[in-house]
Amino acid sequence: MCRSDEGTMSVKGFNPQVDGRKLRQVLGVQLQASSLPDVIRPKEAMALICSWHGLSPRFDILTRFGIDYQSKKQYHEMSTGQKRRLHLALSLACDPAVVILDEPTAGLDVEGRARFHASIRELKAAGVTIILATHDMAEAESLCDRIAIIIKGRIASCGTPAQITSAGQSETRITLRTKRNCLLPGRDMGCAHFLKQTEEYGVWLCRDTAEAVMELLKEVRKSGDSVEDLRVERPSLEERFLELIEGGAHQ
Amino acid sequence: MKAFLKHLLVQLKMDIRERGTLMTYYLVPLIFYFVMGAVFSSTNPLSRQTLSATMVIFSVTMGAVMGIPAPIVKMRETGVLRAYLVCGIPGWAVLFIHSLSAFLHLLIVSIIIFITAPLFFGAAYPKSFPAYFLALFILLFSSIAIGIFIGVAARSQSVGMMFSQAIFLPTVMLSGIMFPAAMLPVPLRLFGWSSSCNLYYELIFRFRKLG
Repeated sequence: MCRSDEGTMSVKGFNPQVDGRKLRQVLGVQLQASSLPDVIRPKEAMALICSWHGLSPRFDILTRFGIDYQSKKQYHEMSTGQKRRLHLALSLACDPAVVILDEPTAGLDVEGRARFHASIRELKAAGVTIILATHDMAEAESLCDRIAIIIKGRIASCGTPAQITSAGQSETRITLRTKRNCLLPGRDMGCAHFLKQTEEYGVWLCRDTAEAVMELLKEVRKSGDSVEDLRVERPSLEERFLELIEGGAHQ
Repeated sequence: MKAFLKHLLVQLKMDIRERGTLMTYYLVPLIFYFVMGAVFSSTNPLSRQTLSATMVIFSVTMGAVMGIPAPIVKMRETGVLRAYLVCGIPGWAVLFIHSLSAFLHLLIVSIIIFITAPLFFGAAYPKSFPAYFLALFILLFSSIAIGIFIGVAARSQSVGMMFSQAIFLPTVMLSGIMFPAAMLPVPLRLFGWSSSCNLYYELIFRFRKLG
Protein backbone atom coordinates (compact mmCIF):
# COMPACT_ATOMS: atom_id res chain seq x y z
CA MET A 1 0.00 0.00 0.00
CA CYS A 2 1.24 3.51 -0.82
CA ARG A 3 2.17 5.69 2.14
CA SER A 4 0.00 8.79 2.42
CA ASP A 5 1.75 12.12 1.80
CA GLU A 6 -0.44 13.89 4.33
CA GLY A 7 -3.64 13.51 6.34
CA THR A 8 -5.02 10.40 8.00
CA MET A 9 -7.09 7.52 6.77
CA SER A 10 -9.62 5.54 8.72
CA VAL A 11 -11.64 2.49 7.67
CA LYS A 12 -14.13 1.43 10.32
CA GLY A 13 -11.93 3.11 12.89
CA PHE A 14 -8.72 1.41 11.76
CA ASN A 15 -5.77 3.07 10.11
CA PRO A 16 -4.84 0.80 7.16
CA GLN A 17 -1.17 1.70 7.49
CA VAL A 18 -0.95 0.74 11.16
CA ASP A 19 -3.79 -1.69 11.92
CA GLY A 20 -3.56 -3.85 8.80
CA ARG A 21 -4.27 -7.09 10.61
CA LYS A 22 -7.29 -5.77 12.53
CA LEU A 23 -8.58 -4.09 9.40
CA ARG A 24 -8.61 -7.41 7.53
CA GLN A 25 -11.21 -8.65 10.03
CA VAL A 26 -13.71 -6.01 8.85
CA LEU A 27 -12.62 -5.58 5.26
CA GLY A 28 -13.39 -7.83 2.28
CA VAL A 29 -11.47 -7.39 -0.96
CA GLN A 30 -12.06 -8.83 -4.40
CA LEU A 31 -9.23 -8.01 -6.77
CA GLN A 32 -9.59 -7.79 -10.53
CA ALA A 33 -6.53 -9.93 -11.20
CA SER A 34 -6.55 -12.67 -8.64
CA SER A 35 -6.86 -16.39 -8.75
CA LEU A 36 -6.80 -19.55 -6.67
CA PRO A 37 -4.84 -22.76 -7.18
CA ASP A 38 -6.24 -24.65 -10.19
CA VAL A 39 -7.03 -27.78 -8.21
CA ILE A 40 -8.64 -26.26 -5.13
CA ARG A 41 -12.37 -26.85 -4.55
CA PRO A 42 -14.75 -24.05 -3.47
CA LYS A 43 -15.40 -25.82 -0.19
CA GLU A 44 -11.68 -26.08 0.58
CA ALA A 45 -11.06 -22.46 -0.37
CA MET A 46 -13.80 -21.28 1.98
CA ALA A 47 -12.60 -23.56 4.80
CA LEU A 48 -9.04 -22.29 4.31
CA ILE A 49 -9.92 -18.60 4.40
CA CYS A 50 -12.26 -19.04 7.37
CA SER A 51 -9.63 -20.96 9.32
CA TRP A 52 -7.19 -18.04 8.95
CA HIS A 53 -9.92 -15.73 10.27
CA GLY A 54 -10.49 -18.13 13.19
CA LEU A 55 -14.04 -18.90 12.02
CA SER A 56 -15.97 -22.04 11.18
CA PRO A 57 -16.38 -22.52 7.41
CA ARG A 58 -19.10 -20.24 5.99
CA PHE A 59 -20.58 -22.58 3.38
CA ASP A 60 -23.85 -20.66 3.64
CA ILE A 61 -22.20 -17.78 1.75
CA LEU A 62 -21.27 -20.11 -1.10
CA THR A 63 -24.86 -21.32 -1.30
CA ARG A 64 -26.10 -17.71 -1.25
CA PHE A 65 -23.99 -16.94 -4.32
CA GLY A 66 -25.13 -20.01 -6.20
CA ILE A 67 -21.98 -22.09 -5.73
CA ASP A 68 -22.54 -25.75 -4.97
CA TYR A 69 -20.03 -26.33 -2.18
CA GLN A 70 -20.63 -30.09 -2.20
CA SER A 71 -19.49 -30.22 -5.82
CA LYS A 72 -16.13 -31.83 -6.61
CA LYS A 73 -15.53 -29.16 -9.25
CA GLN A 74 -12.05 -27.69 -9.08
CA TYR A 75 -11.26 -24.00 -9.56
CA HIS A 76 -9.96 -24.45 -13.12
CA GLU A 77 -13.19 -26.19 -14.12
CA MET A 78 -15.37 -23.27 -13.01
CA SER A 79 -16.72 -20.62 -15.39
CA THR A 80 -15.47 -17.02 -15.14
CA GLY A 81 -18.77 -16.00 -13.52
CA GLN A 82 -18.54 -18.78 -10.93
CA LYS A 83 -14.94 -17.81 -10.14
CA ARG A 84 -15.92 -14.17 -9.66
CA ARG A 85 -18.77 -15.16 -7.35
CA LEU A 86 -16.47 -17.49 -5.45
CA HIS A 87 -13.97 -14.66 -4.90
CA LEU A 88 -16.81 -12.41 -3.77
CA ALA A 89 -18.01 -15.12 -1.37
CA LEU A 90 -14.47 -15.54 0.00
CA SER A 91 -14.16 -11.80 0.54
CA LEU A 92 -17.30 -11.99 2.69
CA ALA A 93 -16.07 -14.87 4.85
CA CYS A 94 -15.29 -12.59 7.78
CA ASP A 95 -18.64 -10.74 7.57
CA PRO A 96 -16.92 -7.52 6.58
CA ALA A 97 -18.45 -4.11 7.13
CA VAL A 98 -16.65 -2.76 4.07
CA VAL A 99 -16.08 -4.59 0.78
CA ILE A 100 -13.79 -3.38 -2.00
CA LEU A 101 -14.58 -4.73 -5.46
CA ASP A 102 -12.15 -4.06 -8.29
CA GLU A 103 -13.72 -4.47 -11.74
CA PRO A 104 -15.83 -7.37 -10.49
CA THR A 105 -17.76 -7.95 -13.72
CA ALA A 106 -14.93 -7.56 -16.24
CA GLY A 107 -15.09 -10.44 -18.71
CA LEU A 108 -18.48 -11.74 -17.60
CA ASP A 109 -21.29 -12.55 -20.03
CA VAL A 110 -24.71 -10.85 -19.80
CA GLU A 111 -26.21 -13.47 -17.50
CA GLY A 112 -23.12 -13.56 -15.29
CA ARG A 113 -23.19 -9.78 -14.97
CA ALA A 114 -26.87 -9.75 -14.07
CA ARG A 115 -26.33 -12.40 -11.37
CA PHE A 116 -23.32 -10.58 -10.01
CA HIS A 117 -25.22 -7.29 -9.92
CA ALA A 118 -28.02 -9.00 -8.02
CA SER A 119 -25.44 -10.27 -5.49
CA ILE A 120 -24.04 -6.77 -5.05
CA ARG A 121 -27.55 -5.35 -4.52
CA GLU A 122 -28.18 -8.05 -1.91
CA LEU A 123 -25.05 -7.01 -0.05
CA LYS A 124 -26.02 -3.38 -0.30
CA ALA A 125 -29.44 -4.18 1.14
CA ALA A 126 -27.72 -6.00 4.02
CA GLY A 127 -26.00 -2.75 4.97
CA VAL A 128 -22.49 -3.55 3.73
CA THR A 129 -20.51 -0.56 2.48
CA ILE A 130 -19.27 -1.37 -1.02
CA ILE A 131 -16.47 0.46 -2.78
CA LEU A 132 -16.69 -0.51 -6.42
CA ALA A 133 -13.96 0.36 -8.91
CA THR A 134 -15.23 0.06 -12.46
CA HIS A 135 -14.78 1.40 -15.97
CA ASP A 136 -18.34 0.44 -16.82
CA MET A 137 -20.33 3.65 -16.41
CA ALA A 138 -23.70 1.94 -16.82
CA GLU A 139 -22.77 -0.43 -14.00
CA ALA A 140 -21.71 2.43 -11.76
CA GLU A 141 -24.88 4.37 -12.56
CA SER A 142 -27.15 1.44 -11.76
CA LEU A 143 -25.40 0.16 -8.62
CA CYS A 144 -23.85 3.11 -6.84
CA ASP A 145 -25.34 5.66 -4.45
CA ARG A 146 -22.31 7.91 -4.76
CA ILE A 147 -19.73 8.05 -7.50
CA ALA A 148 -16.27 9.58 -7.63
CA ILE A 149 -14.76 9.94 -11.10
CA ILE A 150 -10.99 9.69 -10.84
CA ILE A 151 -8.87 11.06 -13.65
CA LYS A 152 -5.08 10.78 -13.45
CA GLY A 153 -5.24 9.85 -9.76
CA ARG A 154 -7.40 12.82 -8.70
CA ILE A 155 -11.11 13.04 -8.02
CA ALA A 156 -12.55 15.04 -10.92
CA SER A 157 -16.17 14.82 -9.83
CA CYS A 158 -18.00 13.35 -6.86
CA GLY A 159 -21.66 12.99 -5.95
CA THR A 160 -24.77 10.98 -6.68
CA PRO A 161 -25.20 9.79 -10.29
CA ALA A 162 -27.87 12.48 -10.82
CA GLN A 163 -25.65 15.21 -9.36
CA ILE A 164 -22.72 14.22 -11.56
CA THR A 165 -24.70 14.02 -14.79
CA SER A 166 -26.57 17.27 -14.13
CA ALA A 167 -23.31 19.12 -13.39
CA GLY A 168 -22.08 18.64 -16.95
CA GLN A 169 -22.35 20.80 -20.03
CA SER A 170 -24.08 18.07 -22.04
CA GLU A 171 -27.60 18.84 -23.10
CA THR A 172 -30.76 16.83 -22.57
CA ARG A 173 -32.00 15.03 -25.67
CA ILE A 174 -35.70 15.15 -26.62
CA THR A 175 -36.91 12.65 -29.22
CA LEU A 176 -40.41 13.20 -30.57
CA ARG A 177 -42.69 11.60 -33.16
CA THR A 178 -46.10 12.97 -34.10
CA LYS A 179 -48.96 11.42 -36.05
CA ARG A 180 -48.68 13.73 -39.08
CA ASN A 181 -44.99 14.72 -38.71
CA CYS A 182 -45.91 18.33 -38.22
CA LEU A 183 -42.50 19.16 -36.73
CA LEU A 184 -40.56 17.75 -39.66
CA PRO A 185 -38.37 18.83 -41.30
CA GLY A 186 -37.12 20.06 -37.95
CA ARG A 187 -36.04 23.51 -36.83
CA ASP A 188 -35.05 25.24 -33.59
CA MET A 189 -37.98 26.04 -31.38
CA GLY A 190 -37.35 28.35 -28.44
CA CYS A 191 -34.64 26.81 -26.31
CA ALA A 192 -34.88 23.43 -28.14
CA HIS A 193 -32.15 23.16 -30.76
CA PHE A 194 -32.89 20.80 -33.61
CA LEU A 195 -30.20 18.12 -33.93
CA LYS A 196 -31.33 15.58 -36.53
CA GLN A 197 -34.16 13.60 -38.04
CA THR A 198 -34.15 9.80 -37.70
CA GLU A 199 -36.94 8.24 -39.81
CA GLU A 200 -40.12 9.80 -38.40
CA TYR A 201 -38.45 11.05 -35.24
CA GLY A 202 -37.08 14.53 -34.67
CA VAL A 203 -34.29 14.98 -32.13
CA TRP A 204 -33.75 18.24 -30.21
CA LEU A 205 -31.14 19.24 -27.62
CA CYS A 206 -31.84 21.61 -24.74
CA ARG A 207 -30.58 22.79 -21.36
CA ASP A 208 -33.97 23.74 -19.92
CA THR A 209 -35.88 20.51 -20.42
CA ALA A 210 -39.29 21.64 -19.15
CA GLU A 211 -39.28 24.78 -21.24
CA ALA A 212 -38.18 22.93 -24.39
CA VAL A 213 -40.78 20.18 -24.03
CA MET A 214 -43.52 22.76 -23.54
CA GLU A 215 -42.40 24.66 -26.66
CA LEU A 216 -42.48 21.50 -28.76
CA LEU A 217 -45.88 20.36 -27.45
CA LYS A 218 -47.33 23.85 -28.00
CA GLU A 219 -46.21 23.68 -31.63
CA VAL A 220 -47.76 20.22 -32.05
CA ARG A 221 -51.06 21.42 -30.62
CA LYS A 222 -51.02 24.56 -32.78
CA SER A 223 -50.66 22.37 -35.88
CA GLY A 224 -53.61 20.20 -34.82
CA ASP A 225 -51.31 17.17 -34.67
CA SER A 226 -50.90 14.67 -31.81
CA VAL A 227 -47.88 13.11 -30.12
CA GLU A 228 -47.27 9.41 -30.70
CA ASP A 229 -43.93 9.01 -28.87
CA LEU A 230 -41.92 11.32 -26.66
CA ARG A 231 -38.61 10.49 -24.95
CA VAL A 232 -36.48 12.69 -22.75
CA GLU A 233 -32.96 11.41 -22.11
CA ARG A 234 -30.62 13.07 -19.69
CA PRO A 235 -26.90 12.88 -20.48
CA SER A 236 -25.56 9.53 -19.30
CA LEU A 237 -22.75 9.10 -16.82
CA GLU A 238 -20.59 7.90 -19.68
CA GLU A 239 -21.14 11.17 -21.57
CA ARG A 240 -20.31 13.11 -18.42
CA PHE A 241 -17.16 11.03 -17.96
CA LEU A 242 -16.06 11.67 -21.54
CA GLU A 243 -16.79 15.35 -21.06
CA LEU A 244 -14.54 15.40 -17.99
CA ILE A 245 -11.81 13.52 -19.84
CA GLU A 246 -12.01 15.92 -22.78
CA GLY A 247 -12.00 18.87 -20.38
CA GLY A 248 -8.87 17.50 -18.74
CA ALA A 249 -7.23 16.95 -22.12
CA HIS A 250 -7.97 20.54 -23.20
CA GLN A 251 -6.51 21.87 -19.95
CA MET B 1 -2.05 -23.36 14.74
CA LYS B 2 -5.45 -24.74 13.69
CA ALA B 3 -5.39 -22.54 10.60
CA PHE B 4 -1.87 -23.66 9.86
CA LEU B 5 -2.77 -27.36 10.05
CA LYS B 6 -5.90 -26.81 7.98
CA HIS B 7 -3.84 -25.04 5.32
CA LEU B 8 -1.28 -27.86 5.33
CA LEU B 9 -4.03 -30.45 4.90
CA VAL B 10 -5.57 -28.56 1.97
CA GLN B 11 -2.12 -28.11 0.43
CA LEU B 12 -1.40 -31.85 0.65
CA LYS B 13 -4.75 -32.64 -0.95
CA MET B 14 -4.01 -30.20 -3.76
CA ASP B 15 -0.54 -31.68 -4.26
CA ILE B 16 -2.08 -35.11 -4.76
CA ARG B 17 -4.44 -33.71 -7.41
CA GLU B 18 -1.68 -31.76 -9.17
CA ARG B 19 -0.05 -33.85 -11.91
CA GLY B 20 3.07 -31.67 -12.11
CA THR B 21 3.74 -32.14 -8.41
CA LEU B 22 3.25 -35.89 -8.61
CA MET B 23 5.62 -36.03 -11.58
CA THR B 24 8.49 -34.09 -10.00
CA TYR B 25 8.13 -35.43 -6.47
CA TYR B 26 7.25 -39.05 -7.15
CA LEU B 27 6.97 -40.37 -10.70
CA VAL B 28 10.22 -39.19 -12.36
CA PRO B 29 12.52 -39.78 -9.34
CA LEU B 30 11.07 -43.22 -8.67
CA ILE B 31 11.23 -44.31 -12.33
CA PHE B 32 14.82 -43.02 -12.47
CA TYR B 33 15.56 -44.89 -9.25
CA PHE B 34 14.14 -48.19 -10.49
CA VAL B 35 15.90 -47.97 -13.88
CA MET B 36 19.25 -46.71 -12.60
CA GLY B 37 19.07 -48.97 -9.55
CA ALA B 38 18.79 -52.00 -11.85
CA VAL B 39 21.59 -50.71 -14.12
CA PHE B 40 24.02 -49.71 -11.32
CA SER B 41 23.48 -52.82 -9.23
CA SER B 42 23.99 -55.19 -12.18
CA THR B 43 26.90 -53.41 -13.88
CA ASN B 44 28.84 -52.49 -10.75
CA PRO B 45 28.09 -54.56 -7.63
CA LEU B 46 30.15 -52.11 -5.55
CA SER B 47 27.56 -49.40 -6.23
CA ARG B 48 25.11 -51.31 -4.00
CA GLN B 49 27.02 -49.85 -1.03
CA THR B 50 25.90 -46.34 -1.93
CA LEU B 51 22.82 -46.99 -4.08
CA SER B 52 20.24 -46.06 -1.48
CA ALA B 53 22.02 -42.82 -0.55
CA THR B 54 22.74 -41.68 -4.13
CA MET B 55 19.19 -42.33 -5.28
CA VAL B 56 17.82 -40.46 -2.26
CA ILE B 57 20.11 -37.51 -3.02
CA PHE B 58 18.99 -37.50 -6.64
CA SER B 59 15.29 -37.68 -5.74
CA VAL B 60 15.47 -35.02 -3.04
CA THR B 61 17.55 -32.67 -5.19
CA MET B 62 15.24 -33.10 -8.14
CA GLY B 63 12.05 -32.72 -6.13
CA ALA B 64 13.27 -29.69 -4.22
CA VAL B 65 15.24 -27.79 -6.87
CA MET B 66 13.03 -28.63 -9.86
CA GLY B 67 9.66 -29.09 -8.13
CA ILE B 68 9.37 -26.33 -5.55
CA PRO B 69 10.13 -23.12 -7.52
CA ALA B 70 7.53 -23.51 -10.32
CA PRO B 71 4.38 -23.51 -8.11
CA ILE B 72 5.71 -20.55 -6.10
CA VAL B 73 6.43 -18.47 -9.20
CA LYS B 74 3.07 -19.52 -10.68
CA MET B 75 1.28 -18.42 -7.50
CA ARG B 76 2.82 -14.99 -7.85
CA GLU B 77 2.23 -14.73 -11.60
CA THR B 78 -1.41 -15.82 -11.59
CA GLY B 79 -2.47 -13.74 -8.59
CA VAL B 80 -3.03 -16.63 -6.16
CA LEU B 81 -0.61 -15.07 -3.68
CA ARG B 82 -2.41 -11.71 -3.96
CA ALA B 83 -5.75 -13.43 -3.37
CA TYR B 84 -4.33 -15.20 -0.29
CA LEU B 85 -2.88 -11.97 1.09
CA VAL B 86 -6.11 -9.96 0.74
CA CYS B 87 -8.02 -12.82 2.35
CA GLY B 88 -5.78 -12.56 5.41
CA ILE B 89 -3.32 -15.42 4.80
CA PRO B 90 0.23 -14.22 5.57
CA GLY B 91 2.83 -14.60 2.82
CA TRP B 92 5.31 -16.32 5.14
CA ALA B 93 2.69 -18.96 5.97
CA VAL B 94 2.14 -19.74 2.28
CA LEU B 95 5.88 -20.28 1.79
CA PHE B 96 6.28 -22.26 4.99
CA ILE B 97 3.37 -24.56 4.14
CA HIS B 98 4.81 -25.12 0.67
CA SER B 99 8.14 -26.05 2.25
CA LEU B 100 6.48 -28.35 4.75
CA SER B 101 4.39 -30.17 2.16
CA ALA B 102 7.50 -30.57 -0.05
CA PHE B 103 9.37 -31.90 2.97
CA LEU B 104 6.69 -34.54 3.59
CA HIS B 105 6.54 -35.64 -0.07
CA LEU B 106 10.32 -35.89 -0.38
CA LEU B 107 10.56 -37.71 2.93
CA ILE B 108 8.01 -40.27 1.66
CA VAL B 109 10.03 -40.81 -1.55
CA SER B 110 13.25 -41.13 0.48
CA ILE B 111 11.66 -43.74 2.74
CA ILE B 112 10.32 -45.67 -0.28
CA ILE B 113 13.86 -45.78 -1.69
CA PHE B 114 15.38 -46.59 1.68
CA ILE B 115 13.03 -49.57 2.16
CA THR B 116 12.96 -50.93 -1.41
CA ALA B 117 16.62 -50.52 -2.45
CA PRO B 118 17.85 -53.43 -0.27
CA LEU B 119 14.84 -55.58 -1.26
CA PHE B 120 15.00 -55.02 -5.03
CA PHE B 121 18.66 -54.31 -5.70
CA GLY B 122 20.46 -55.77 -2.69
CA ALA B 123 21.58 -52.31 -1.57
CA ALA B 124 23.37 -52.09 1.76
CA TYR B 125 21.63 -50.67 4.80
CA PRO B 126 23.40 -47.73 6.48
CA LYS B 127 25.66 -48.52 9.40
CA SER B 128 23.98 -45.94 11.61
CA PHE B 129 20.28 -45.29 11.08
CA PRO B 130 20.11 -42.10 13.24
CA ALA B 131 23.12 -40.61 11.43
CA TYR B 132 21.61 -41.56 8.06
CA PHE B 133 18.31 -39.85 8.85
CA LEU B 134 20.06 -36.84 10.39
CA ALA B 135 22.00 -36.41 7.15
CA LEU B 136 18.77 -36.95 5.19
CA PHE B 137 16.99 -34.21 7.15
CA ILE B 138 19.89 -31.80 6.59
CA LEU B 139 19.78 -32.61 2.88
CA LEU B 140 16.00 -32.07 2.83
CA PHE B 141 16.21 -28.73 4.65
CA SER B 142 19.04 -27.38 2.51
CA SER B 143 17.53 -28.56 -0.80
CA ILE B 144 14.11 -27.16 0.08
CA ALA B 145 15.70 -23.86 1.12
CA ILE B 146 17.39 -23.62 -2.30
CA GLY B 147 14.09 -24.49 -4.03
CA ILE B 148 12.24 -21.81 -2.05
CA PHE B 149 15.00 -19.29 -2.75
CA ILE B 150 14.72 -19.90 -6.51
CA GLY B 151 10.92 -19.65 -6.33
CA VAL B 152 11.08 -16.33 -4.49
CA ALA B 153 13.91 -14.84 -6.56
CA ALA B 154 12.80 -15.87 -10.07
CA ARG B 155 10.73 -13.26 -11.87
CA SER B 156 8.99 -15.71 -14.19
CA GLN B 157 8.49 -19.44 -14.57
CA SER B 158 10.98 -19.64 -17.44
CA VAL B 159 13.66 -17.83 -15.38
CA GLY B 160 12.86 -20.12 -12.43
CA MET B 161 13.24 -23.19 -14.64
CA MET B 162 16.59 -21.85 -15.90
CA PHE B 163 17.86 -21.29 -12.35
CA SER B 164 16.67 -24.75 -11.32
CA GLN B 165 18.44 -26.41 -14.23
CA ALA B 166 21.59 -24.37 -13.59
CA ILE B 167 21.74 -25.68 -10.03
CA PHE B 168 20.31 -29.16 -10.49
CA LEU B 169 22.37 -30.44 -13.43
CA PRO B 170 25.87 -29.51 -12.15
CA THR B 171 24.89 -30.71 -8.68
CA VAL B 172 23.87 -34.12 -9.97
CA MET B 173 26.46 -34.51 -12.71
CA LEU B 174 29.58 -33.15 -11.06
CA SER B 175 29.13 -33.77 -7.37
CA GLY B 176 29.92 -37.45 -7.47
CA ILE B 177 26.61 -39.24 -7.04
CA MET B 178 26.57 -40.59 -10.62
CA PHE B 179 30.29 -41.37 -10.78
CA PRO B 180 33.28 -40.57 -8.54
CA ALA B 181 34.14 -36.85 -8.72
CA ALA B 182 37.82 -37.77 -8.51
CA MET B 183 37.54 -39.23 -12.04
CA LEU B 184 36.54 -35.86 -13.50
CA PRO B 185 39.09 -33.60 -15.23
CA VAL B 186 40.42 -30.93 -12.87
CA PRO B 187 38.49 -27.98 -14.38
CA LEU B 188 35.21 -29.87 -14.13
CA ARG B 189 36.05 -31.00 -10.61
CA LEU B 190 36.69 -27.37 -9.66
CA PHE B 191 33.49 -26.35 -11.44
CA GLY B 192 31.66 -29.03 -9.49
CA TRP B 193 33.02 -27.56 -6.31
CA SER B 194 32.17 -24.00 -7.24
CA SER B 195 28.84 -24.43 -9.03
CA SER B 196 27.16 -27.08 -6.94
CA CYS B 197 26.68 -26.38 -3.27
CA ASN B 198 29.56 -27.42 -1.09
CA LEU B 199 27.01 -28.58 1.40
CA TYR B 200 25.70 -31.13 -1.06
CA TYR B 201 29.18 -32.31 -1.79
CA GLU B 202 29.93 -32.76 1.89
CA LEU B 203 26.62 -34.46 2.50
CA ILE B 204 27.20 -36.89 -0.33
CA PHE B 205 30.43 -37.97 1.33
CA ARG B 206 28.67 -38.27 4.65
CA PHE B 207 26.00 -40.39 3.00
CA ARG B 208 28.58 -42.57 1.41
CA LYS B 209 30.34 -43.14 4.67
CA LEU B 210 27.04 -43.88 6.37
CA GLY B 211 25.88 -46.07 3.48
